[in-house]
Amino acid sequence: MAATLQSSPARQPARRRPSRLARRERNWGLVFLAPWIIGFCLFFAAPMLASLVFSFTNYNLLKPGETSFIGLENWRRMVNDPNVRQSLGVTIRFLLVSVPVAMAVPLGLALLVNSRYLLGKHIFRTLFYMPMMVPIVAGTMIWQGVLNTQSGWLNRILGALGLPGPDWINNPHLVIPTLTLIGIWGIGNTMVIMLAGLQNVPTELYDAALVDGAGPFYRFFKITLPLISPVIFYNLVLAMIGAFQYFLQPFVIWSSTNGAGPNNASLFYMVNLYREGWAYYQMGYASTLAWAMFFVALLVTVALFATAKRWVYYAGEK
Amino acid sequence: MSLNTFDPAAAGDRVVIRWFVGLGAGTQPDQIPLEEEAVRKFNESQDKIYLALELVENSQAYNILATRIASGDVPDIIGPVGVRGRNAFKGQLLDLSELIKKHNIDLSVYDTELVDFYNLEGQGQIGLPYAIYPSFIYFNKDLFDEADLPYPPQTYGEQYDGKEWNMDTLRELGMKLTVDENGNDATSPDFDPEKIVQFGFHPQWNNQARNVGTLFGAGSLVGPDGNAQIPEHWLAAWEWYHAGMFKDYFIPHDAYVNSDAFGNSNVFNSGKLAMAWTHLWYTCCLNDVENWDIAVMPSYNGKPTAKLHADTFSIMKASKHPEEAFEVLLYLLQSPELTQAYGAMPADKTRQDEFFANLDKRFAETNKSKVNWQVAIDSLNYVDDPNHEEDLPNFLKVQNELDAFANAMRTQPDFDVKAEAEKLKETLQKLFDEVN
Repeated sequence: MAATLQSSPARQPARRRPSRLARRERNWGLVFLAPWIIGFCLFFAAPMLASLVFSFTNYNLLKPGETSFIGLENWRRMVNDPNVRQSLGVTIRFLLVSVPVAMAVPLGLALLVNSRYLLGKHIFRTLFYMPMMVPIVAGTMIWQGVLNTQSGWLNRILGALGLPGPDWINNPHLVIPTLTLIGIWGIGNTMVIMLAGLQNVPTELYDAALVDGAGPFYRFFKITLPLISPVIFYNLVLAMIGAFQYFLQPFVIWSSTNGAGPNNASLFYMVNLYREGWAYYQMGYASTLAWAMFFVALLVTVALFATAKRWVYYAGEK
Repeated sequence: MSLNTFDPAAAGDRVVIRWFVGLGAGTQPDQIPLEEEAVRKFNESQDKIYLALELVENSQAYNILATRIASGDVPDIIGPVGVRGRNAFKGQLLDLSELIKKHNIDLSVYDTELVDFYNLEGQGQIGLPYAIYPSFIYFNKDLFDEADLPYPPQTYGEQYDGKEWNMDTLRELGMKLTVDENGNDATSPDFDPEKIVQFGFHPQWNNQARNVGTLFGAGSLVGPDGNAQIPEHWLAAWEWYHAGMFKDYFIPHDAYVNSDAFGNSNVFNSGKLAMAWTHLWYTCCLNDVENWDIAVMPSYNGKPTAKLHADTFSIMKASKHPEEAFEVLLYLLQSPELTQAYGAMPADKTRQDEFFANLDKRFAETNKSKVNWQVAIDSLNYVDDPNHEEDLPNFLKVQNELDAFANAMRTQPDFDVKAEAEKLKETLQKLFDEVN
């Protein structure tokens, strides 16, 4: 066997120089890709590299001339910073609450709008997707009005039902449920992807299961879920990364406290990063926070991919 | 919202001076055309300097200016900028002393205290007095008439309905003017605090911790020994304010303030607020109340305090054209368009009569009452010293803590003001220690 393997390079065809046509096609490919490559280098790669350098400096936005190299001081500071602990705690709590909701609700809605029994499917699909067309800041401001304890319609409805309306925005214990509720409004994208996944499940599998006497729950758990698991996995990865990067909604709602909210209950990791960088102008330290988050998100994503082998079903694999 | 009027073709080979607006007044829709007009007039009169207006939304202006400083793209002039703005950009502003001397600027038209207000230790004369905004009480006469109550006093020292015009009287009056949807006022046992349709009093756009504290008198969070302190009378003011929202109900808390029904934060303009404590700059945004006037500040322990805001224009230290920028700065200080735009009472005493006459003209059609502007002038005798926006050690972080404290006070009914103030003091001390 070893001899066979050793001899194989000799049997491989000699590496030929690409033809003139192939070279021409490659060059044209690069030309067409150039805008993206240049944009990526200028607006992503270069700033990322710069921020990595900043993370080892005391760079202050107002005193750029006094910037000096401080080694791992920012990293040491980060480990002992109570705001970092608080912001990580808030982010993880939010992730644990909002990600399951952000997966389950779109899946439920996708099942609903995919149902053969639903009338006006297209209307519902459009309606559920429509909030995605509203910019996040505008949508959040609308939600601020909806959740206002005095004039918001949510508490008015609760009041009409004889239920006390909570203080959605100012009660520190309700910050994460409130943001999760706002998040449900923007699940249109995930729903559409789930729907596409559902529509790709071969119908003959359901027919065969019906013939075998499988009930709806059995069909859902044994056919639907496994077959759309790649779509769920994709959305899960996006939702996790989205939760780590969560910023705009708390920043808009609790703008008077730079996004930190009541008792720092909405001091998300990114809110804290923003505060350090743009409220306190400590861009060196903020860069350190950004890179730390990059590593955390990378680790979680790698861990997710590692678990994927156990529960994600790819039809092309054995 | 942002605006940049720079036009390379129009600028030609003139020296371009960039004027950055957004750190204080100047970004309201009504103000922008007047600012553009001032710029247009300047550019038409010039063949050496071209003035470009760069306007940025207030909530973004601090970040944008900081980023521009970092990138070396620094504007020449900033303003109007108040005390908070100058503290945030400490060390970035040009000392104008030499230019003032060189151009023989007559400083005698200003009060010496006002000139000194801009002479900062270690930084020099970072501005000339421009706009002063005393604070006082705006009151809605129709709501007083409806409740059959006399108007608040318009002379310092005057009584209200036979009582001293002080914080207790203000509270009592505020409660009488706070009404629920059944028409009961806040002194009535039948009053429903869940269904309030009209409030008695509100520190409009003026409800940060140090602002509210100053309602009861000037004070400082830095003690004589440099340590953090909470002045006793500020604690009393905070307790009074918190009780006013959640116990006596005559002050709207945040949910009311931010609701559509109460003008989305412009509560007095909604016509559902009897008295607003705010500054002269509030004339910018008072369009819908048909019958209003102004009254003097009530006293605390026998002493009234009318805290002062003061804005000016400053030249950035990094400006490449300080001479030309100074010429523009002198123009901006004198521009009648800008005085009108900012509701800015000129620090230059010779221009104050003209300013109030213009305000009268402006409100002649929308306000049934002729406003007694003497109240504003008299309030200058009761300004807060030290100023409530004075610089603090570790200013940006301390300000963040103060904002969080005030936010909790405005939103949480069970906020224990005394205990939280004690915690605040400890936090401030830690932040002071970081930089000492």
